[in-house]
Amino acid sequence: MSAKRCRRGEIELYRSPVTEDCEHLLSLFQKTDSVRFEVFSKIWKEMNFSHIFHGTVKHEKRSFSRLILDSAYGFLLPPFSFQIRVGGLYLLYSLFQSQTAAPPEPIRLALKDWEHVKKFEKDAMDAQHMDVIYILRQLRLQRAFHFSATPTRLVFRKLRKKESPALCENFIERASRPQELINIDLLEELTNVHDLYGTLKSSVSETSENSSVNLIRDDLIPQLRSTVMDFHKWQSRQGAADEDEDEDEGSGEGMSSQQECSRRAQLIASIKSKAYGEAAEARKSRRHRQVELDYTSSVAGPLGSSRSGRTKLSLKARTNESLLVLGDLYEGVTSSSTISQLCSLDFKPEDKPKDSKIKVLMKTR
Amino acid sequence: MAASKNANTNIPDYEYTDVNTNIFHIDSFKTEWLNRLQPGDVSFQPEDQDSSDALFAKEMGISADTMAELKTVCSLDSLRCHPEDQPPDPDVVPPDPTLKTLIQRKKKQDYRATLKISKNRHDLYADELERLTFGKKPETLDDMVAEGEIILNINVYYPATFEKFCYVRPHITVLMMGSHTLAELRDAICCVNDLQVCGEFSNMPDMAPDFISKDHFKSAFFYFEGVFYNDMRYPECQDTSITTIEWAKDRNFPTYTQAKMEDTRFVDLKIKVGFPYLYCHQGDCEHLVIITDVRLTHKDDCLDKKLYPLLTHKHRVSTQKCAVCHVYIGRWVTTNDRFAPSNPCLFCDECFRMLHYDTEGNKLGEFQAFPYVDRGAFN
Ligand SMILES: [Zn+2]
Ligand SMILES: [Zn+2]
Repeated sequence: MSAKRCRRGEIELYRSPVTEDCEHLLSLFQKTDSVRFEVFSKIWKEMNFSHIFHGTVKHEKRSFSRLILDSAYGFLLPPFSFQIRVGGLYLLYSLFQSQTAAPPEPIRLALKDWEHVKKFEKDAMDAQHMDVIYILRQLRLQRAFHFSATPTRLVFRKLRKKESPALCENFIERASRPQELINIDLLEELTNVHDLYGTLKSSVSETSENSSVNLIRDDLIPQLRSTVMDFHKWQSRQGAADEDEDEDEGSGEGMSSQQECSRRAQLIASIKSKAYGEAAEARKSRRHRQVELDYTSSVAGPLGSSRSGRTKLSLKARTNESLLVLGDLYEGVTSSSTISQLCSLDFKPEDKPKDSKIKVLMKTR
Repeated sequence: MAASKNANTNIPDYEYTDVNTNIFHIDSFKTEWLNRLQPGDVSFQPEDQDSSDALFAKEMGISADTMAELKTVCSLDSLRCHPEDQPPDPDVVPPDPTLKTLIQRKKKQDYRATLKISKNRHDLYADELERLTFGKKPETLDDMVAEGEIILNINVYYPATFEKFCYVRPHITVLMMGSHTLAELRDAICCVNDLQVCGEFSNMPDMAPDFISKDHFKSAFFYFEGVFYNDMRYPECQDTSITTIEWAKDRNFPTYTQAKMEDTRFVDLKIKVGFPYLYCHQGDCEHLVIITDVRLTHKDDCLDKKLYPLLTHKHRVSTQKCAVCHVYIGRWVTTNDRFAPSNPCLFCDECFRMLHYDTEGNKLGEFQAFPYVDRGAFN
């Protein structure tokens, strides 16, 4: 009995050194500021990482492959930064290729993580990182994946001996409140409100030269956005400076194209995944909603017909109205969106072609 | 919203991280995956690398030269950590390792060298089971596992007895396909209690039947997520779950329902991966059942339908030896036996008869004797 206890315990003993080795490799990769496979494979070779499979005997080969692939899998997913996730992909690919089990132990891909991988692929595509896309394709071509329910096999007793593995903090995208706060939804909402406010202002005042109208800042949204972008750039520069003060100047124009490339990818990944993640979908559904609203307000609604001297419905009545109109669409919409819904009921669609708002956003991207 | 919510619940997520998932419908899970994948992803046929590369180059709008360069950069050669003509021995930890993993393994390797023990039987057995079935193709196409079919890993644990303090709970691991029924799982579970003979036979040891209680007690059930699945294949099968159901009804428990295990396929089930469920037979022999993995089939799986349910792990329990000769596996348990060094005591057939009966076969002294089937007799 004790022999068996050792055997099962033994493979578990490798969990922490394996994680340490993977993290070490990825931290060296992170220092290069690159997303090139060439750079990754150079570090791999310098570390003799293929040897990590050497010295395993018989069935241990397979259980060790399983262990290390499961350990590396997490780096492919959020919350890690785009560069680390690229490193995670390269690591999985290299481990899959180098393992000593035959046939090779597959990489387990959980259904819930699929969308992360697809989004990751799209970001890589947008930034034209050929090696990233190619390697992802290669893994699919080689049938390297087990399309699974869970990232690991689950045996209930794990519960008791679970030690929560600390995520390597350096690899995680720097949290940033401004970006989380000023996201695409907010910008869009702000655009709507801003436009409506402008229309409202000009509708109350008879003369267009009214000074209160001039108080509206036309470039509010683009400016807000570029400020957040500036902040992000400054922040990532700060981060780089923290790590290596000598290279402080290098973060300017002096960057190599490779660095630039990864900077760009990082920027795209972080800004986009955080701020523009659901942008396309949100916009579409919102446009759809706007149309419905426009329809009711111009045809059936008494609300939009008269500009001046209209009687305002109570908030509750307007809410009910909008709920009625929206039907199913209303469900699942975040509470912040209701501001524009309620406001737009009061206005004719002709005042503002619905696409102009989108254009503002597109321009600012 | 209801529709989209329902769709999402069939994308398994953790109920408790790394322990078990929330509940999902297996067939819907399969559909969710297949909707996201291309047929090639689950195909058993290899794809042509060159045509795939050509397609990639076209899609990305890159020249043949660039494509060739990309291939070289991403090739296996680019990862090789040694000169091509001097491959190291993969069975040995390389000298002076720097990787943490290898330092750990070297310690073990050095320790092992001092022991000089040969591999135990269990290790060999695990190897054999796996190696036999990887990518195994059937003789006829009819027996071919379908692409995109569901494969389940199921652990069935043996009742906790003296071994309950061990790190490894004895269990078997069975691979099943989504199209299998629960009855097929039942038939794949081999429990020593199915072979247990009941009764005291000290007065007529020759009358002890060789087996088998499976014949006498055919009733059994599985329990998954509020449903008892009874085996009703034979006329003598009884619904053994009804007692529990009615007991629960009296006590305001959530209502349980019943179904037939022979009519229920795995794809029909709603389950949590990693969650302990129950198999009960012989009236009171209870086994934990854990579905440890649900996934789509892969080209390296055993592709011969006929070999399923496929046993991939079987716990080797050490056999209980005869208290007298310490050589043979125990066949008899005696109680209140003054010839015995302990109470109860285990004897092999030969020692039992030599000690307890005269040459004519007459019983000597007072004792009770029960036929015994060793758990290890299955090895
Ligand atoms: Zn049993
Ligand atoms: Zn004996």
